[in-house]
Amino acid sequence: MGALAAAIAVGLAALGAGLGNGLIVSKTVEGMARQPEASGLLRTTMFIGIAFVEAIPIMGVVIAFIAIFL
Amino acid sequence: MPDLELLYNRYKKYMYFILAIVALGWGFTVFKTFFAGLFLGISVSFLNLWLLKQRTLRLSKAVQKNKTVYSIGTFSRLAYVALAVLVALKYPDVFHLIATIIGFTVSYIVIFIDLIVLFFKKQFRQEER
Repeated sequence: MGALAAAIAVGLAALGAGLGNGLIVSKTVEGMARQPEASGLLRTTMFIGIAFVEAIPIMGVVIAFIAIFL
Repeated sequence: MPDLELLYNRYKKYMYFILAIVALGWGFTVFKTFFAGLFLGISVSFLNLWLLKQRTLRLSKAVQKNKTVYSIGTFSRLAYVALAVLVALKYPDVFHLIATIIGFTVSYIVIFIDLIVLFFKKQFRQEER
């Protein structure tokens, strides 16, 4: 059951992160293509956005490994 | 909002400062395992932040030059975290697991506090005008 719990934890967290990151990157690239002069601001916003989106899957990985090995 | 390099340099300064405090805690207190775990977690968090900055810059340059980027490195960042958790689980008498997990969140706390400070600075400037 520990392996199943780990798989669900990592899988769902990675699914959410993948969707979130995909949306952030696609909108940023779109914005950069439309307004190349705003690319500095856009990439800073993207950096912060991706950092916060990835906080949850990181905790998911931690919980998964604890579920497997503890 | 400042440029990415500028922002990252500020985060780097804060992270080095926190790492130095943790190293002092490891050296001068009796909570060796706790501070070692915290050091491991913060190091991995810092590495992830640096990797994210590199990938973001690479993506930005690729868009400007009309080239393709296949990944922004999410999997490798998750793998570094998994490796750190495995190390903390393998050597529980050297690294404290909960402290390692707290260490992973330090970069997010730094970013969050920095954003709040930036917001209040902006508000203060607008009120001055």
